[in-house]
Amino acid sequence: MESKRSLMLRLPPEVYSLIILIGLLTIFTIFSNYRFLSYENLRALGRLLPDLGVVALGVAMLMIAGEFDLSISSQIPLCSYVMITLLKSGFGEILSLLVVLGVGAVLGFINAVITIRGRIPSFITTLGTMLLWRGVVYVWSGMMPIPLRPYLPETSILALVFVSEVFGVPVQIIWFAAVAIVLGLILHRHRFGNWVYATGDNELAAKEMGINTALTKTICFMTVGILAALVSVLQLYRIESFAATQGIGFEFRAIAACVIGGISLRGGSGSVIGAILGIIAMQTIDTGLILMGVPVFGVSAFIGIVIVVFGLLVTRAGRKFVS
Amino acid sequence: MKKRKVERLIEEANELLSRREALSTGAKVALGAVIAGLVAGLGGYFAGSQAAPQRTVTVTAPAAERTVTITETVLSTITGAAGKKPAEGMYFRLVTHGGDDPFWAVVKKGMIDAAEFYGCKADIDLCGGDLALQQKRFQEAVAMKPTAIALVINDPSWAPLVQDALDKGVPVFGINNDWPGNPRLFYIGQNEVRAGYLIGKRIFETGIKKGIDPKTAHLVMPVEVPGAAYGVQRSKGILQAAEEYGIKSYEIMDAGGLEMTTVESRETAYFLAHPETKFAIGLGGIVTDRLTTALKNAGKKPGEIIAGGFDTTPGTLAGLKEGYIEATIDQQQYLQGYFAIVCGYLYAWAGFMPNIDTGGYLVDKNTIGIIEKFSPLHVR
Repeated sequence: MESKRSLMLRLPPEVYSLIILIGLLTIFTIFSNYRFLSYENLRALGRLLPDLGVVALGVAMLMIAGEFDLSISSQIPLCSYVMITLLKSGFGEILSLLVVLGVGAVLGFINAVITIRGRIPSFITTLGTMLLWRGVVYVWSGMMPIPLRPYLPETSILALVFVSEVFGVPVQIIWFAAVAIVLGLILHRHRFGNWVYATGDNELAAKEMGINTALTKTICFMTVGILAALVSVLQLYRIESFAATQGIGFEFRAIAACVIGGISLRGGSGSVIGAILGIIAMQTIDTGLILMGVPVFGVSAFIGIVIVVFGLLVTRAGRKFVS
Repeated sequence: MKKRKVERLIEEANELLSRREALSTGAKVALGAVIAGLVAGLGGYFAGSQAAPQRTVTVTAPAAERTVTITETVLSTITGAAGKKPAEGMYFRLVTHGGDDPFWAVVKKGMIDAAEFYGCKADIDLCGGDLALQQKRFQEAVAMKPTAIALVINDPSWAPLVQDALDKGVPVFGINNDWPGNPRLFYIGQNEVRAGYLIGKRIFETGIKKGIDPKTAHLVMPVEVPGAAYGVQRSKGILQAAEEYGIKSYEIMDAGGLEMTTVESRETAYFLAHPETKFAIGLGGIVTDRLTTALKNAGKKPGEIIAGGFDTTPGTLAGLKEGYIEATIDQQQYLQGYFAIVCGYLYAWAGFMPNIDTGGYLVDKNTIGIIEKFSPLHVR
């Protein structure tokens, strides 16, 4: 009996995340009179979930490497503003997209340089850059919303690529799946993934093994920056306007999604599957609660409770699994 | 005496190391200098942008140019100082709770345009909803003894602070938000309750004409920041109108903040969860902006739910054209910033104390044209 109990507790944290998520989705489905599974709701989730999901996947990889990035909530509006400014200036869509992805990479690189060369915690670095880039966006844009449609060509390639549907499936969820597959392959099948885990688990030991931990972390930071830039364009085309308030709160939601998915705050453990489960949980909780008819003013309280419960269970499971 | 080979090698190694150290140190210093330069440059840019009034954008609409020319002539005649701007040497301070909202960018534009026109200096504090910070900024402003302070009075705790400023000889008047019993000199802004009443009346009238039964209809009012003064006062006005039309079922919905995706997600879920909803009135700009997409996400057709709200953001204007949004209130917030300077000057010059209601301009598909014309200029 004792060994059976021990076996149950030694399951990977992702399994616990999956069990709890299935439980939550079942509750949402039953108590919402099956509205949760309606085509309209699933389609809306498919369109909206990737906004946080895509960038949270990058944050997951960075957290596994042992670092944080709080500045994504400012990178998103900044990159969005760069994109619309380029389109307004007459640049082509593809060129603008490439420039914006480059800007995202540079923003990630700046975070990496300050953290690694300055030897300061990434929490502090990215807290500073979060405030810096948001201030830049506010001053540069004047906080004014800018409509996108007047600056799009008649046949917008990026609108087709980023906001259309394929057999009724929003293309945004396809992007999310694609990014998840690519990052999953890198983390779990490529040597670089081993470097990420080793760096996050024990940086000193990783260095002794010959792993270039600085380069590893730099690539992770830049990946987050590029994904934030991608999300900025996804959002811009879906909302059809630039808003300086894009991405507010994403930094903590992304970290919460990763923790729910079993990624350790200390680094060195976690998986893309876990991140996906955490993202789905974070993005469906408030929808599910509202569909159940929970008073909307109480939704935030419920979200807080679910995050804490998830976090406790998954973190405890993670410790048992490792031990 | 010839040095031994080993000693020579050691000397060369030391030289190499110190060169490496020097280069490494040099690189660190260079990086630090670049970062410091970047920070200083950005800081200087921000300071310059905030302090100096920007050049006024030329308004191309002929009617506006004529109005500006006439006003300038009249003012020159009044002050008897042709060529000299009337408020030169004056300094006005706007202390607001605004921040992460495009609304305040237009207020600021109005302030900057008026300051340039009148030849005075003006600053605006955007305290991001932080009352304690706003009160600190107010006290700092009082200490600077400006010509006048325009204050967003969004809490009863402002009363003693405003009285104290008046006692010290610093004129204080209210803009954007007002509170009963506050000793401010006068008020410029939208009457939020009246604005809520106007939009509510329009939405409910339209719905009843379409055959919606008010006894069974449900009204939802999404808000970005539950409990904030703007939402509370607007909802009061809307509920006054609802009572007149016999609508009893309503809910004020927490839309989850200022982030567009979160707002859209919650509004969509709400419409799916509450098919009895027939009226939707956003209490702020962002929640109104996302209504159209949320209604589409929920599978609603234009006019199925009579929707409206506040401000003229791109999503709201698109919704007006597509028929999802029936009407919206333009707060004309440009006038709040503009008249803050004008009225501050008029008080300083001749003791005028005008109360001006700047808001309640109803925009629908018939009046959308003028909004679209001036929206790119950040005037509407």
